[in-house]
Amino acid sequence: MSSTRSYARPALPDGGRRLAAFLAALAFFLSTVEYMLPRPVPFMRLGLANLPLLLAVDLLPFGSYIALALVKVVGMSVLTGSLFSYVALFSLAGTLASALVMRGLRALAGPRSLSYVGLCVAGAVSSNLAQVALARVFVFGDSARFMAPAFVGLGLASGLALGAFTQAFASKSAWLAGILATPSAAEASAGGSE
Amino acid sequence: MPLIRRAGARGGRGGVKVRWLDALIVALSAALFVCLAVSVYGGPPSSVLVITSGGDEWIYQLSQDRVIEVPGLIGVSIVGIHDGEAHIDDSPCANRTCVASQPIRRPGEWAACLPNGVFIRIEGEDIQDEFDAFVR
Repeated sequence: MSSTRSYARPALPDGGRRLAAFLAALAFFLSTVEYMLPRPVPFMRLGLANLPLLLAVDLLPFGSYIALALVKVVGMSVLTGSLFSYVALFSLAGTLASALVMRGLRALAGPRSLSYVGLCVAGAVSSNLAQVALARVFVFGDSARFMAPAFVGLGLASGLALGAFTQAFASKSAWLAGILATPSAAEASAGGSE
Repeated sequence: MPLIRRAGARGGRGGVKVRWLDALIVALSAALFVCLAVSVYGGPPSSVLVITSGGDEWIYQLSQDRVIEVPGLIGVSIVGIHDGEAHIDDSPCANRTCVASQPIRRPGEWAACLPNGVFIRIEGEDIQDEFDAFVR
Protein backbone atom coordinates (compact mmCIF):
# COMPACT_ATOMS: atom_id res chain seq x y z
CA MET A 1 0.00 0.00 0.00
CA SER A 2 2.99 2.30 -0.17
CA SER A 3 1.77 3.65 -3.51
CA THR A 4 -1.40 5.00 -1.88
CA ARG A 5 0.53 7.44 0.37
CA SER A 6 3.25 8.52 -2.03
CA TYR A 7 1.48 11.70 -3.26
CA ALA A 8 2.99 15.14 -2.50
CA ARG A 9 1.53 18.45 -3.66
CA PRO A 10 3.66 20.86 -5.73
CA ALA A 11 5.47 23.56 -3.73
CA LEU A 12 4.01 26.68 -5.36
CA PRO A 13 6.19 29.81 -4.94
CA ASP A 14 3.47 32.06 -3.41
CA GLY A 15 1.80 29.39 -1.32
CA GLY A 16 -0.72 28.82 -4.10
CA ARG A 17 -2.44 32.20 -3.79
CA ARG A 18 -2.29 33.02 -7.51
CA LEU A 19 -3.53 29.56 -8.47
CA ALA A 20 -6.30 29.77 -5.83
CA ALA A 21 -7.42 33.10 -7.30
CA PHE A 22 -7.49 31.60 -10.80
CA LEU A 23 -9.47 28.58 -9.61
CA ALA A 24 -11.93 30.84 -7.76
CA ALA A 25 -12.50 32.84 -10.95
CA LEU A 26 -13.02 29.58 -12.81
CA ALA A 27 -15.56 28.50 -10.16
CA PHE A 28 -17.52 31.76 -10.62
CA PHE A 29 -17.53 31.30 -14.39
CA LEU A 30 -18.68 27.68 -14.17
CA SER A 31 -21.30 28.64 -11.59
CA THR A 32 -22.70 31.20 -14.04
CA VAL A 33 -22.71 28.60 -16.82
CA GLU A 34 -24.60 26.18 -14.57
CA TYR A 35 -27.07 28.89 -13.58
CA MET A 36 -28.00 29.22 -17.26
CA LEU A 37 -28.60 25.49 -17.80
CA PRO A 38 -32.16 24.19 -17.35
CA ARG A 39 -32.59 21.72 -14.50
CA PRO A 40 -34.31 18.44 -15.37
CA VAL A 41 -35.35 18.06 -11.72
CA PRO A 42 -35.66 20.80 -9.08
CA PHE A 43 -32.65 20.68 -6.71
CA MET A 44 -30.71 18.80 -9.42
CA ARG A 45 -27.35 20.48 -9.88
CA LEU A 46 -24.39 19.09 -11.75
CA GLY A 47 -22.06 21.07 -9.50
CA LEU A 48 -19.81 22.39 -12.25
CA ALA A 49 -18.42 25.01 -9.87
CA ASN A 50 -16.93 22.21 -7.78
CA LEU A 51 -14.52 21.27 -10.57
CA PRO A 52 -11.86 23.84 -9.50
CA LEU A 53 -12.18 22.69 -5.87
CA LEU A 54 -11.76 19.09 -7.00
CA LEU A 55 -8.57 19.96 -8.92
CA ALA A 56 -7.34 22.00 -5.94
CA VAL A 57 -7.34 18.90 -3.72
CA ASP A 58 -4.08 17.85 -5.40
CA LEU A 59 -2.68 21.32 -6.02
CA LEU A 60 -3.14 23.76 -3.15
CA PRO A 61 -1.82 23.78 0.43
CA PHE A 62 -4.58 23.42 3.04
CA GLY A 63 -4.94 27.13 3.85
CA SER A 64 -5.36 28.19 0.23
CA TYR A 65 -7.65 25.21 -0.37
CA ILE A 66 -10.08 26.22 2.40
CA ALA A 67 -9.85 29.86 1.30
CA LEU A 68 -10.87 28.75 -2.21
CA ALA A 69 -13.86 26.86 -0.78
CA LEU A 70 -15.01 29.92 1.22
CA VAL A 71 -14.55 32.32 -1.71
CA LYS A 72 -16.54 29.93 -3.91
CA VAL A 73 -19.45 29.96 -1.43
CA VAL A 74 -19.48 33.75 -1.19
CA GLY A 75 -19.15 34.20 -4.97
CA MET A 76 -21.91 31.74 -5.79
CA SER A 77 -24.17 33.30 -3.15
CA VAL A 78 -23.64 36.70 -4.76
CA LEU A 79 -24.41 35.28 -8.21
CA THR A 80 -27.63 33.60 -7.03
CA GLY A 81 -28.67 36.49 -4.78
CA SER A 82 -28.76 34.39 -1.62
CA LEU A 83 -25.75 35.88 0.21
CA PHE A 84 -27.76 37.48 3.02
CA SER A 85 -30.28 34.66 3.43
CA TYR A 86 -29.83 31.54 5.50
CA VAL A 87 -29.78 29.55 2.26
CA ALA A 88 -26.13 30.64 2.01
CA LEU A 89 -25.47 28.67 5.22
CA PHE A 90 -26.60 25.51 3.44
CA SER A 91 -24.16 26.23 0.63
CA LEU A 92 -21.41 26.88 3.19
CA ALA A 93 -22.10 23.66 5.11
CA GLY A 94 -22.25 21.59 1.92
CA THR A 95 -19.08 23.05 0.43
CA LEU A 96 -17.08 22.74 3.66
CA ALA A 97 -18.24 19.15 4.22
CA SER A 98 -17.34 18.27 0.64
CA ALA A 99 -13.96 20.05 0.81
CA LEU A 100 -12.94 18.41 4.08
CA VAL A 101 -14.07 14.92 3.05
CA MET A 102 -12.22 15.12 -0.29
CA ARG A 103 -9.07 16.45 1.39
CA GLY A 104 -9.28 13.81 4.11
CA LEU A 105 -9.66 11.00 1.56
CA ARG A 106 -6.67 12.29 -0.40
CA ALA A 107 -4.62 12.29 2.82
CA LEU A 108 -5.47 8.59 3.14
CA ALA A 109 -5.03 7.56 -0.50
CA GLY A 110 -3.04 8.92 -3.43
CA PRO A 111 -4.14 9.16 -7.09
CA ARG A 112 -3.05 5.60 -7.83
CA SER A 113 -5.81 4.14 -5.66
CA LEU A 114 -8.36 6.98 -5.66
CA SER A 115 -9.16 9.02 -8.78
CA TYR A 116 -11.27 12.16 -9.15
CA VAL A 117 -14.31 9.91 -9.70
CA GLY A 118 -14.25 8.55 -6.14
CA LEU A 119 -13.24 11.91 -4.68
CA CYS A 120 -16.10 13.68 -6.45
CA VAL A 121 -18.75 11.11 -5.50
CA ALA A 122 -17.65 11.23 -1.85
CA GLY A 123 -17.64 15.03 -1.92
CA ALA A 124 -21.03 15.34 -3.59
CA VAL A 125 -22.74 12.80 -1.32
CA SER A 126 -21.22 14.29 1.86
CA SER A 127 -22.21 17.79 0.72
CA ASN A 128 -25.81 16.73 0.17
CA LEU A 129 -25.96 14.80 3.45
CA ALA A 130 -24.66 17.85 5.33
CA GLN A 131 -27.40 19.97 3.79
CA VAL A 132 -30.10 17.42 4.66
CA ALA A 133 -28.77 17.32 8.24
CA LEU A 134 -28.89 21.12 8.41
CA ALA A 135 -32.44 21.11 6.99
CA ARG A 136 -33.46 18.57 9.65
CA VAL A 137 -32.05 20.63 12.52
CA PHE A 138 -33.06 24.14 11.47
CA VAL A 139 -35.95 24.02 8.97
CA PHE A 140 -37.97 20.90 8.30
CA GLY A 141 -37.46 18.72 11.38
CA ASP A 142 -38.10 15.00 10.95
CA SER A 143 -39.65 15.58 7.50
CA ALA A 144 -36.16 16.18 6.12
CA ARG A 145 -35.58 12.42 6.07
CA PHE A 146 -37.83 12.27 3.01
CA MET A 147 -35.28 14.40 1.16
CA ALA A 148 -32.34 12.12 1.98
CA PRO A 149 -32.77 9.39 -0.71
CA ALA A 150 -33.18 11.91 -3.51
CA PHE A 151 -30.22 13.99 -2.33
CA VAL A 152 -27.94 10.96 -1.98
CA GLY A 153 -29.04 9.63 -5.39
CA LEU A 154 -28.50 13.01 -7.05
CA GLY A 155 -25.12 13.36 -5.34
CA LEU A 156 -24.09 9.95 -6.62
CA ALA A 157 -25.18 10.71 -10.19
CA SER A 158 -23.73 14.22 -10.37
CA GLY A 159 -20.53 13.09 -8.61
CA LEU A 160 -20.01 10.31 -11.14
CA ALA A 161 -20.57 12.67 -14.09
CA LEU A 162 -18.38 15.52 -12.82
CA GLY A 163 -15.71 13.15 -11.48
CA ALA A 164 -15.43 11.33 -14.81
CA PHE A 165 -15.22 14.65 -16.65
CA THR A 166 -12.54 15.95 -14.28
CA GLN A 167 -10.54 12.73 -14.58
CA ALA A 168 -10.66 12.93 -18.37
CA PHE A 169 -9.65 16.61 -18.23
CA ALA A 170 -6.78 15.90 -15.83
CA SER A 171 -5.45 13.12 -18.05
CA LYS A 172 -5.23 15.45 -21.06
CA SER A 173 -4.46 18.89 -19.63
CA ALA A 174 -0.99 20.23 -20.34
CA TRP A 175 -1.73 23.13 -17.96
CA LEU A 176 -2.39 20.75 -15.07
CA ALA A 177 0.61 18.60 -15.96
CA GLY A 178 2.80 21.71 -15.86
CA ILE A 179 1.66 22.58 -12.33
CA LEU A 180 2.02 19.02 -11.12
CA ALA A 181 5.56 18.95 -12.54
CA THR A 182 6.55 21.60 -9.97
CA PRO A 183 8.68 19.82 -7.34
CA SER A 184 7.07 19.24 -3.94
CA ALA A 185 8.58 20.83 -0.82
CA ALA A 186 10.28 17.55 0.12
CA GLU A 187 11.71 17.10 -3.39
CA ALA A 188 12.88 20.72 -3.53
CA SER A 189 14.73 20.46 -0.20
CA ALA A 190 16.25 17.11 -1.18
CA GLY A 191 17.46 18.58 -4.48
CA GLY A 192 18.92 21.63 -2.74
CA SER A 193 20.98 19.54 -0.33
CA GLU A 194 22.68 17.50 -3.03
CA MET B 1 0.21 27.22 -21.99
CA PRO B 2 -3.08 25.69 -23.17
CA LEU B 3 -5.48 24.19 -20.63
CA ILE B 4 -6.01 21.17 -22.89
CA ARG B 5 -3.61 19.56 -25.31
CA ARG B 6 -5.00 17.47 -28.16
CA ALA B 7 -5.83 13.93 -27.11
CA GLY B 8 -2.89 11.63 -27.60
CA ALA B 9 -0.40 14.45 -28.02
CA ARG B 10 1.35 13.55 -24.79
CA GLY B 11 0.81 9.84 -25.23
CA GLY B 12 0.47 7.21 -22.56
CA ARG B 13 -2.17 8.80 -20.33
CA GLY B 14 -5.85 9.25 -21.17
CA GLY B 15 -9.35 7.96 -20.46
CA VAL B 16 -10.94 7.34 -17.09
CA LYS B 17 -9.52 4.41 -15.18
CA VAL B 18 -11.54 3.42 -12.13
CA ARG B 19 -9.43 2.66 -9.04
CA TRP B 20 -10.46 0.27 -6.29
CA LEU B 21 -11.27 3.03 -3.82
CA ASP B 22 -13.47 4.69 -6.46
CA ALA B 23 -15.45 1.46 -6.77
CA LEU B 24 -15.70 1.19 -2.97
CA ILE B 25 -16.98 4.77 -2.55
CA VAL B 26 -19.53 4.40 -5.37
CA ALA B 27 -20.72 1.08 -3.94
CA LEU B 28 -21.10 2.55 -0.43
CA SER B 29 -22.98 5.58 -1.78
CA ALA B 30 -25.29 3.33 -3.82
CA ALA B 31 -25.91 1.12 -0.75
CA LEU B 32 -26.72 4.22 1.33
CA PHE B 33 -29.14 5.39 -1.37
CA VAL B 34 -30.91 2.02 -1.46
CA CYS B 35 -31.22 1.84 2.35
CA LEU B 36 -32.60 5.38 2.59
CA ALA B 37 -35.00 4.78 -0.31
CA VAL B 38 -36.35 1.57 1.26
CA SER B 39 -36.83 3.25 4.65
CA VAL B 40 -38.65 6.24 3.15
CA TYR B 41 -40.58 4.71 0.25
CA GLY B 42 -41.21 1.25 1.70
CA GLY B 43 -44.35 2.22 3.65
CA PRO B 44 -47.91 1.11 2.86
CA PRO B 45 -49.75 3.02 0.12
CA SER B 46 -52.03 5.80 1.32
CA SER B 47 -53.27 9.21 0.40
CA VAL B 48 -52.64 11.87 3.00
CA LEU B 49 -50.73 15.06 2.43
CA VAL B 50 -48.55 16.23 5.34
CA ILE B 51 -47.51 19.89 5.34
CA THR B 52 -44.73 21.01 7.69
CA SER B 53 -43.89 24.62 8.48
CA GLY B 54 -42.45 26.35 11.54
CA GLY B 55 -42.59 23.19 13.68
CA ASP B 56 -46.31 22.57 12.95
CA GLU B 57 -47.80 19.84 10.79
CA TRP B 58 -51.11 19.81 8.94
CA ILE B 59 -52.59 16.68 7.41
CA TYR B 60 -55.06 16.67 4.51
CA GLN B 61 -56.84 14.04 2.47
CA LEU B 62 -55.63 13.90 -1.11
CA SER B 63 -59.09 12.86 -2.23
CA GLN B 64 -60.54 16.37 -1.71
CA ASP B 65 -59.49 19.23 -3.98
CA ARG B 66 -58.57 22.36 -2.07
CA VAL B 67 -56.18 25.31 -1.89
CA ILE B 68 -54.19 25.74 1.33
CA GLU B 69 -52.37 28.85 2.53
CA VAL B 70 -49.29 27.86 4.53
CA PRO B 71 -47.52 30.53 6.62
CA GLY B 72 -43.73 30.26 6.34
CA LEU B 73 -40.54 32.06 7.27
CA ILE B 74 -40.77 34.80 4.62
CA GLY B 75 -44.44 34.77 3.64
CA VAL B 76 -47.34 32.53 2.64
CA SER B 77 -46.94 29.53 0.34
CA ILE B 78 -49.95 28.26 -1.59
CA VAL B 79 -50.36 24.48 -1.75
CA GLY B 80 -53.00 23.04 -4.02
CA ILE B 81 -54.61 19.58 -4.04
CA HIS B 82 -56.09 18.66 -7.40
CA ASP B 83 -57.12 15.24 -8.71
CA GLY B 84 -55.25 13.37 -5.98
CA GLU B 85 -52.02 15.32 -6.45
CA ALA B 86 -50.45 18.04 -4.32
CA HIS B 87 -48.32 20.87 -5.63
CA ILE B 88 -46.77 24.11 -4.35
CA ASP B 89 -48.69 26.55 -6.58
CA ASP B 90 -47.03 29.71 -5.30
CA SER B 91 -44.36 30.78 -2.84
CA PRO B 92 -42.60 34.04 -1.93
CA CYS B 93 -39.09 32.66 -2.59
CA ALA B 94 -36.73 34.16 -5.18
CA ASN B 95 -35.85 31.27 -7.46
CA ARG B 96 -39.25 29.45 -7.25
CA THR B 97 -37.68 26.03 -7.63
CA CYS B 98 -40.51 24.65 -5.49
CA VAL B 99 -43.18 25.95 -7.88
CA ALA B 100 -41.35 24.32 -10.80
CA SER B 101 -41.33 20.91 -9.09
CA GLN B 102 -43.63 18.10 -10.21
CA PRO B 103 -46.90 17.37 -8.33
CA ILE B 104 -46.60 14.64 -5.70
CA ARG B 105 -49.06 11.76 -5.19
CA ARG B 106 -47.29 8.60 -3.90
CA PRO B 107 -46.04 7.84 -0.36
CA GLY B 108 -42.52 9.16 0.14
CA GLU B 109 -42.75 11.82 -2.56
CA TRP B 110 -42.06 15.35 -1.38
CA ALA B 111 -41.56 18.95 -2.40
CA ALA B 112 -40.10 21.81 -0.41
CA CYS B 113 -39.58 25.54 -0.36
CA LEU B 114 -36.32 25.95 1.53
CA PRO B 115 -36.34 29.78 1.79
CA ASN B 116 -39.88 29.72 3.24
CA GLY B 117 -39.33 26.59 5.36
CA VAL B 118 -42.37 24.77 3.92
CA PHE B 119 -42.19 21.02 3.32
CA ILE B 120 -44.96 18.87 1.83
CA ARG B 121 -44.96 15.09 1.56
CA ILE B 122 -47.25 12.13 0.97
CA GLU B 123 -47.34 9.85 3.97
CA GLY B 124 -48.42 6.23 4.21
CA GLU B 125 -51.07 6.20 6.91
CA ASP B 126 -54.40 4.39 7.14
CA ILE B 127 -56.71 7.26 8.07
CA GLN B 128 -60.49 7.36 7.73
CA ASP B 129 -62.11 9.69 5.20
CA GLU B 130 -64.30 11.63 7.67
CA PHE B 131 -61.89 14.46 8.52
CA ASP B 132 -61.20 17.60 6.47
CA ALA B 133 -57.83 18.32 8.05
CA PHE B 134 -56.08 18.17 11.38
CA VAL B 135 -52.99 19.56 13.07
CA ARG B 136 -50.49 17.50 15.05
